[in-house]
Amino acid sequence: MKKTALMLFIAATLWGYGDGAIYWAPHGCDDGKKTASKHGGHGKGESAMFTLMNTEANAHAHLILPDLSEQNLTFKRTTVMLPKPSMGGYYAMVAKGYDTNATFSAMRYLSLQGRPAKVSPTKLTALPKTDLEIIPDPLHREHDRYSASKSYRFLLHFQGKPLINTAVTLETHDTPVQTYTTDQTGAFSITLPNDFKNVQVGRSENKPSEFLLSTQHRDGEHLYKSTLTMPYSLNPNDFWQSQSYGAGAIFIGFLGGLVFYRRTKKGAKNG
Amino acid sequence: MDKLLTVTLLRRIVQLTAFVFFVYGAMIFTTFYTGDKLTQNLPALSCAYDMKGGDFCALIPLQHQMDHRVSTLFTQNAGMMEALMGTLITIGTVAVLILILNKAFCGWLCPLGFFQDVFTMIGTKLGLTQLGSLSRETVNKIRPIKWFIFPVLVLILPLLTGIGFLGHEWGNPYCSICPSRIMTTAMTGDMNQIYISQANTGYFILSLIADLLFGLMIALALFVRQPFCRICPILPMQTLFKKIGLLRLVKNGNSHCDTCSSCVKACPMDIYEIQNQAENKNITHSDCTLCGRCVEFCPHDGVMSFKYGPIILLSSSKEGFKKRTKIDKWWKG
Ligand code: SF4
Ligand code: SF4
Ligand code: SF4
Repeated sequence: MKKTALMLFIAATLWGYGDGAIYWAPHGCDDGKKTASKHGGHGKGESAMFTLMNTEANAHAHLILPDLSEQNLTFKRTTVMLPKPSMGGYYAMVAKGYDTNATFSAMRYLSLQGRPAKVSPTKLTALPKTDLEIIPDPLHREHDRYSASKSYRFLLHFQGKPLINTAVTLETHDTPVQTYTTDQTGAFSITLPNDFKNVQVGRSENKPSEFLLSTQHRDGEHLYKSTLTMPYSLNPNDFWQSQSYGAGAIFIGFLGGLVFYRRTKKGAKNG
Repeated sequence: MDKLLTVTLLRRIVQLTAFVFFVYGAMIFTTFYTGDKLTQNLPALSCAYDMKGGDFCALIPLQHQMDHRVSTLFTQNAGMMEALMGTLITIGTVAVLILILNKAFCGWLCPLGFFQDVFTMIGTKLGLTQLGSLSRETVNKIRPIKWFIFPVLVLILPLLTGIGFLGHEWGNPYCSICPSRIMTTAMTGDMNQIYISQANTGYFILSLIADLLFGLMIALALFVRQPFCRICPILPMQTLFKKIGLLRLVKNGNSHCDTCSSCVKACPMDIYEIQNQAENKNITHSDCTLCGRCVEFCPHDGVMSFKYGPIILLSSSKEGFKKRTKIDKWWKG
């Protein structure tokens, strides 16, 4: 009974998220975490298993490696398990689904450790991967994370060209949907919300959350829907790090230097 | 123009250009990603935390390798090659860079070195009494600090963290107190690196030291030359390879040196040893930044020189000395 209630609750909270478009979400099961730790390359506690949400049976997916080579991902129901990373750098997970009059796509990037691939990550983001594509410009730094309360830029491309004046929505689990519009270069910037709850002191004590960017574009009769999901972490400056105390400490250090100046000046005069 | 053309002027132009490259270079020359930076192992304090920077220093990979790779020798019985490969690449790159430019990375290219120089120029122009040379006793007291910071903060503490003896905060303790982290990020408009952490005692102490040190460095730079450089862990790292550097400071002794000391007064690092007699000898000291001021301010023909391999790039001369002291007087008003 409890289980059914829980399932209903989860279904209710996820219903409507992504507005029917497909999107990637990490699968937090033990299997995914065990595989990730066996693989190495993933961060501590991360999963190597991902679910393609809202998917129909006709979706397929592939992985683009840091050297831009491709590898197929096989679905087990709606989940895929990533293979052991053969090199370090950014990997792109690409999923595509088709309907009679619609094309769906979902993107996600991972930064995995290993021997560097010697290909600039700018090549991976620039590579057209889906018809309608939300492109991080740039991605977060290697081995870093997107952070709350910080701004990030993205580009929206349709068939390799910038798509202007188009709405893109940002969704997280705890903040209402926000809509952005692409500018004349197809770019838009978002600020990730500080919506972490029950925060513990220490970065590793808090699990990352997920943000979802989604957009759609109609070309004649055909509808294109695309998403990008990525994890984001809380920003310690919102919680246990104080920037005003930091500025205060710099000022005290500066005053200390001035006291030293007065002493040396006096010394110079007396000597 | 020739009247103004001095090594110092040339150095300022190079320093400014290097500053723009190392602090903002990702916007034009390299990219945002660490894998695309120029050397990724620079023997100068260009900062990896600066999202717009063109390169980053060798100290951050060294700390990470100690914490995550070298430590696996003790924790996972990892193979020597696997554990040490990254460190060997870093050390090898630093060695090659030192071979090419030796300690000129400090005097000519380091953004933090230039930042301190700018504050000294501001202090001079504000009319603050400049401290000039520090006494030998003071210099001798300060010098060992960097020989503590380099092995302990850059190598030993990160290694102990990786092995599991210490908490995460000691994984890159030098970066946590490094003034270049605060300076370069602030120069790009990013104030996120200015903070006091209350995560635990270790984080609190490190963040407090970082901010106090940064404020102190700025105030001191207004009247003391190169205050932070004197304790900078880059100097010991460069020293490991300075013998192979093609660029070097060479002295060809002169009996006037005993009474002159013009070079020592000019030296921003107060290296009093350069006054000692020497016959065609490489006198590049561990603290030397190869700034060239001692060559400019030596009043004797051919006593001090900069050599690159067998080629003499610059030599002290009576004429050069006269011109340089005149400009110095004009600058100091
Ligand atoms: S904080 Fe200092 S030591 Fe660390 S990467 Fe930046 S410049 Fe290098
Ligand atoms: S000694 Fe000075 S110039 Fe050299 S790396 Fe350190 S801060 Fe920069
Ligand atoms: S010894 Fe000469 S080159 Fe070296 S720091 Fe001093 S003045 Fe500059």
